[in-house]
Amino acid sequence: MTQAQPDDTRVDWEAALVQRACTGDSRAFERLYREHAGRVYGLCLRMTRDVQLAEDCTQETFINAWRALPRFETRSSLSTWLHRIAVNVSLAKRRKASPVGPSLDDEEGTSDALEWTLETPVEVREIEAAIDALPDGARDALILHALYGYSHVEAAQMLGVAEGTCKAQLHRARKLLRERLHVEVG
Amino acid sequence: MSGADERKVSSLRELSPAIEPARDLWPQIEARINAERSTAAPPRPARARAVPPRWLAAAAVVASVAVGVWIGRSLLPAARPAAQSPISASRANFTDAPTALDVAYVPDPRYQRDRAALMKTLQARLAALPPPARAKVMASLAAIQRAKQDLQNALGKDPGNALLQELLVNTYQDEMRVLTDVHEASDPGRGI
Repeated sequence: MTQAQPDDTRVDWEAALVQRACTGDSRAFERLYREHAGRVYGLCLRMTRDVQLAEDCTQETFINAWRALPRFETRSSLSTWLHRIAVNVSLAKRRKASPVGPSLDDEEGTSDALEWTLETPVEVREIEAAIDALPDGARDALILHALYGYSHVEAAQMLGVAEGTCKAQLHRARKLLRERLHVEVG
Repeated sequence: MSGADERKVSSLRELSPAIEPARDLWPQIEARINAERSTAAPPRPARARAVPPRWLAAAAVVASVAVGVWIGRSLLPAARPAAQSPISASRANFTDAPTALDVAYVPDPRYQRDRAALMKTLQARLAALPPPARAKVMASLAAIQRAKQDLQNALGKDPGNALLQELLVNTYQDEMRVLTDVHEASDPGRGI
């Protein structure tokens, strides 16, 4: 038996599972699903605000991912890739449900370095409700940037909007959260 | 969204992005995947595209039959206790011979005999294949060998890891599948 190797020979489990799923191994794909389902569903639920739609979107996300898996570059992040799919699916479902969405010009974008800290601690259910009540565009940008940690550029790309628009939506989200929660959002 | 969560947070970053669905969504996903698989080919890695379609189709037919027969004959014999499947056998052997992992994963003499027989004629069989197919087979076997080595190394660090054990067994199955493909594809008149 070969002795333990240094880190450069460490097996990347997710990549190994992706590789196996690419060959048609649905058990490997199920492991990937189990690993990522919570974050994908959380994203879909927050974007659609509807449990049934979110379940549909989550299923659609993983089915689309299964179909596209051979094209997935293992050097990139699987979670980011899944989130991109989930955003696309959720936007499409939402568009279908209410075809006309609000738009926002990108000139008013100013929220470059927000940490999204709250002056006074707020209960989770309260803040979730406040996020839930945000307009679609502002909520989408907020979820991807403040909750999922994507940069303005990444969030804008996922949402198919200009970076400035994304910043403007975040600015709007901050203002609305401040009004609703009655605390400063810094 | 998080129900009656009364925990207080002072930053949005403290909110968990993950929300577990109220029900398991996998069964429906799996059903859709299986339904698609029954009407279309499963997703394949990019490397398979370079193989000539005619040979690929023939190999697919041969492989599906050969692997099924081989697994039924060598890995899951009805008369043998379930404990002798590669995964469970490997677990048993860890306690007996923890320093001989490479041997522990191939405990079945029939597997060893079949593999030895296939390896013995491999070079001659490879010579009978079209050059592009031969190159693909050799690349596949090399990749499998590397995967086996990596997995064995990792198991040396974490011998009880069930996922590793499963992946290693899968690589042995992959190797046998390739060897059987080569054997059958270069001698189509031979029965299994």
